[in-house]
Amino acid sequence: MDVKKDITWRVNMAYLAVVLVCLVIFGKAVYIQQMQGTMWRNLSDSLHLKMMDVEADRGTIYSADGQMLSTSVPQYDIYIDFGADGLREHDGELFKANLDTLSLCLANLFKDKTKGGYKAILNKGYKEKDRYSLLKRKVSFSDYQELKKFPLVRLGKNKSGFIAINTNVRLNPYQLLAFRTIGLERENAKKIGLEQAYDSLLRGKEGKRLVRFIAGGVAVPVDDDYEVEPENGEDIVSTIDTRIQEISENALLDMMQQSQSKYGTCIVMETATGQIKAIANLGQQANGSYWEDYNYALRATEPGSTIKLATLLSVLSEGRTSINDLVEVGSTGNAFVGVRNVNDAERAPKPIMTVKECFAHSSNVGFSKIAYNTFAGQPSKYIQYLHQYRMDTVSGIDLKGEDKPKLAKVSKSHEGLSELETMSFGYSLQVTPMQTLTLYNAIANNGKMVKPYLISAVQQDGKLVKQFNPVVLTDNFCTPSVIKAAQECMSAVVTEGTAKGIFINTPYKVAGKTGTAHVADGKYGYSDGIYLASFVGYFPADKPRYTCIVVIRTNPYAALHYGGQLAAPVFKKIADRLYTMFVQSDDMQYTTTTINDSIPYLYTGKKSDIQQIMEIVKMPYKDSSLEKTDMAYMRKENAKPVMNGVTIDKKTMPQLNGMTLKDAVYLCENIGMKINVKGKGKVISQSYLPGQPIIKGLTVNIELN
Amino acid sequence: MNETADKLFAQIPSVEVAGGHILKGTRGDRYIWGIVVLLALISLLVVYSATGSLAYKMYQGNNEVYLFRQLSFIVLGFVVIYFLHRINYTLYSRISLILYLISVPLLIYTLFFGAEINDGSRWIKLPVINMTIQTSDFARLALFMYLSRQLSRKQEVIKDFKKAFIPLIVPVFITCGLIMPANLSNALLTGATSILLLFIGRVSVKHILLVIAIALIPILLIIGVAVSTHNANTENKAANNSLAQSMQSVGRFGTWVSRVQSFMYAEEQEIPYQVQQSNIAIANGGILFGLGPGNSRQRNFLPQAYNDFIYAIIIEEYGLLGGAFVMFIYLIFLFRCIRVFRRCPYAFGAFLALGLSFTLVIQAVANMAVNVNIVPVTGVTLPLISMGGSSFLFTCASIGIVLSVARNLEQMEGRQMAAAAKANEQVV
Repeated sequence: MDVKKDITWRVNMAYLAVVLVCLVIFGKAVYIQQMQGTMWRNLSDSLHLKMMDVEADRGTIYSADGQMLSTSVPQYDIYIDFGADGLREHDGELFKANLDTLSLCLANLFKDKTKGGYKAILNKGYKEKDRYSLLKRKVSFSDYQELKKFPLVRLGKNKSGFIAINTNVRLNPYQLLAFRTIGLERENAKKIGLEQAYDSLLRGKEGKRLVRFIAGGVAVPVDDDYEVEPENGEDIVSTIDTRIQEISENALLDMMQQSQSKYGTCIVMETATGQIKAIANLGQQANGSYWEDYNYALRATEPGSTIKLATLLSVLSEGRTSINDLVEVGSTGNAFVGVRNVNDAERAPKPIMTVKECFAHSSNVGFSKIAYNTFAGQPSKYIQYLHQYRMDTVSGIDLKGEDKPKLAKVSKSHEGLSELETMSFGYSLQVTPMQTLTLYNAIANNGKMVKPYLISAVQQDGKLVKQFNPVVLTDNFCTPSVIKAAQECMSAVVTEGTAKGIFINTPYKVAGKTGTAHVADGKYGYSDGIYLASFVGYFPADKPRYTCIVVIRTNPYAALHYGGQLAAPVFKKIADRLYTMFVQSDDMQYTTTTINDSIPYLYTGKKSDIQQIMEIVKMPYKDSSLEKTDMAYMRKENAKPVMNGVTIDKKTMPQLNGMTLKDAVYLCENIGMKINVKGKGKVISQSYLPGQPIIKGLTVNIELN
Repeated sequence: MNETADKLFAQIPSVEVAGGHILKGTRGDRYIWGIVVLLALISLLVVYSATGSLAYKMYQGNNEVYLFRQLSFIVLGFVVIYFLHRINYTLYSRISLILYLISVPLLIYTLFFGAEINDGSRWIKLPVINMTIQTSDFARLALFMYLSRQLSRKQEVIKDFKKAFIPLIVPVFITCGLIMPANLSNALLTGATSILLLFIGRVSVKHILLVIAIALIPILLIIGVAVSTHNANTENKAANNSLAQSMQSVGRFGTWVSRVQSFMYAEEQEIPYQVQQSNIAIANGGILFGLGPGNSRQRNFLPQAYNDFIYAIIIEEYGLLGGAFVMFIYLIFLFRCIRVFRRCPYAFGAFLALGLSFTLVIQAVANMAVNVNIVPVTGVTLPLISMGGSSFLFTCASIGIVLSVARNLEQMEGRQMAAAAKANEQVV
């Protein structure tokens, strides 16, 4: 047989075999595609397609002065997949090579463990081949950006195994400040405060979109459209002014710490509108510190003497009594009135007083007598008045969880009349500080009672969506003459009554009422020496701008427990600051005084530096600075150089005028603010005014000349 | 001249000198050239698309890196083809012996010192040009060249066991045996192709069956272990099969067993991920038109989409029609190579053309068979289409050698025609 022919048939056979195999392969492909196609495609979709919730951005809560009170910031939980291919290939070459530097970098960044500590964690995870090992939780955005640059990590997820889980967390930049009121947005717990009340606005609406997972676990939208477009939450603008809030909070905190009281609350309301400008709630913690742990402003308690305003208004409205009528209160501090014995918390200065004096000196005997005389015949009339003053209903503030007030039942019976008397000076009924404040504010507002509120506007992307205007609850809930009389009585409290002496030196007038109530709370009885000290009032009395209530509850047998001792000083501290910051500046007429005879000077700098210079130039000067102060300024007073100390309290912005750049920078860096400089010479102006609260990291523009 | 000479079938055992004349301008078989260009173009398109996920991992999504890499491989490949096809093919006879003698120690070296990829030691790194090469690709080329040489030299005694069969089968066993520990599938493919070549080369069928029987022993062993350990796993009777289990832990034996298991018991077990994804890719493509060039979805999930599983991506993007077209091109290529063999009067040239073309096409068929899940998953590239690397260049080398045979034929036929014309003239 011919060799070539022999080979040829073999080749042909082989070729035929190849063609046959090809046909089989093609047949299988057709089978997979046409017969099983739907099954595979469905499998593909189920493997790679997923309807994902697209989280809507939660809105921000702004303060009235434009600060962020609560906002969402991204945060990362860092996990490591020690089974990542890139990490393990070549016997973990990559891991081993980077272990040391990476541990060092991590230790430097997080500062919570040593290099060795991180090395141990990484080695352990690698050894156990943990596919989802938690490295660090709650890493901030900036730290995460830093982390991404580290050796190994920068190689990406597949090589390094580093996985970052992004979550949005709620941040209260001001921490303690109005914490309870702004509230919390928590994943697994009930929300509180504004976060709760306005949750539906803030939350927005989750969207949905179809995504396909591709390499590296990245989810890519299947098309550009959302299945359901997420609607980002709306921003809400609070009436709370961070400056007023900080003043109030600090004033309250100082007194709480000084008196070691149980809890305290303080609310500042804008008289004309009912806007809550500040609301501070401090409760004593187990370790003795104070924290915004509960919204005491909305907690109903027996108010004590502050309720006497309601009693006063009701008896005056009855028309049979005027504020100059005389009432016999006796000189023993207690008396049998109508159906029961009544004690005075503070001894009355004289046995017979006018109604106004009874109010000013907060005489329980006097007030129960007036109330008994007026309403003994028809006790329900008194309740009607309390209803009219909204003492029996919640204030309606836009927060949830406000306590409902409780009133005792009155009747013509012995007990009923006894309850009437008790209520007239503030017991047997429970109201919230917010309710009391609303009533007092109505007096300050000349009879127009407005609803307290916390949110003034809703915004979306900086545009106004909805504006909340003041809500008038009752326009004329008392006759003007009654209002006037009540105002007069409240002024008397400050000028001659229980708050006398506290507001002596103020450039503005205050009208208000103190309250000192014995508290029975849980295991404590009325005789356990627990007091609820309060002061509620408004200022300036002649042209009210703000109404404010301060309520402090003491611990048993506290040395300081009178409303005039505990609450009124807090009120004064707040009023002093608010008056200079807001009231005075609005009313003041600015004048320029020109001094012609010589040039005024102002040198500000480090105290020791100034002293050194003065010694060198041998110039006599007067040192009127305090010993502790670090910074001082030198200026001409009565043609002599005088050095005054500059107190830096680390809470408020200092005056930079007259400082050199070096001193200004030193000072600002010290208190955590950044500086942006223009010009040279000495500071002549600053963009962030002195006296304002310090915001860490804020940039202050200063101009030098 | 004995080494470089080739034998005319008609004149066995007489020897005729065919080499020594290198003519300019001849380009071998024009169809084969066309097929190579066509496959290179397809490769550019598909690799560019399929490297998306790789580019994402390595170069932040910069696909062009791989496009240009592939392009440069193609250019380099064409240089190799052109250079090799200009060489007189008879030279390859002598070279084949040298290459084979190099390949054996190289395989041994790789086995012990090579770079490991997926637990298999298959690669060595060339020091100067810093490229990793799969030594088995080189060894296969050397083996088939050497077999072509041996077949052509032993034709007179081809049915003799001692004189022809032993010298032919021993190199095959050496090469396959050395490839096997690291790359069983490649070893099997090489062995099967070798046996086909021996069959074509008129080796006694009796002897071939003997080889097949011997080769079946390890295969049956693997399947046996696969079956027994699978049952043990499912029935929890590990003690009975301690031998089988201990064998499983030796080298890559476990990998083979598990692959065979996953293929055999696909219904019961979870289908291997690659197979699943490959099937999805095929299902995604339509009959006439697939998802369109560059629109593959499975490239993101299919491991080695640009390499071992490129055929599935082709079907996904270009439909069954595209898949059939690629298959058709390979068959045309084989057909043209067979034509070279038919025209070739010299034994070595004919065997060279047959051996190298069959290897190439069988490799292509193997790749396609893996892609449609007819055979278990093995790491076989689709010649000339899969993303470049050493195997791409070795494929180009074998094409260059086939074209060299074709070029010499044309040249010789041209001479004969000229001689005939001259003779006619003289007659006239």
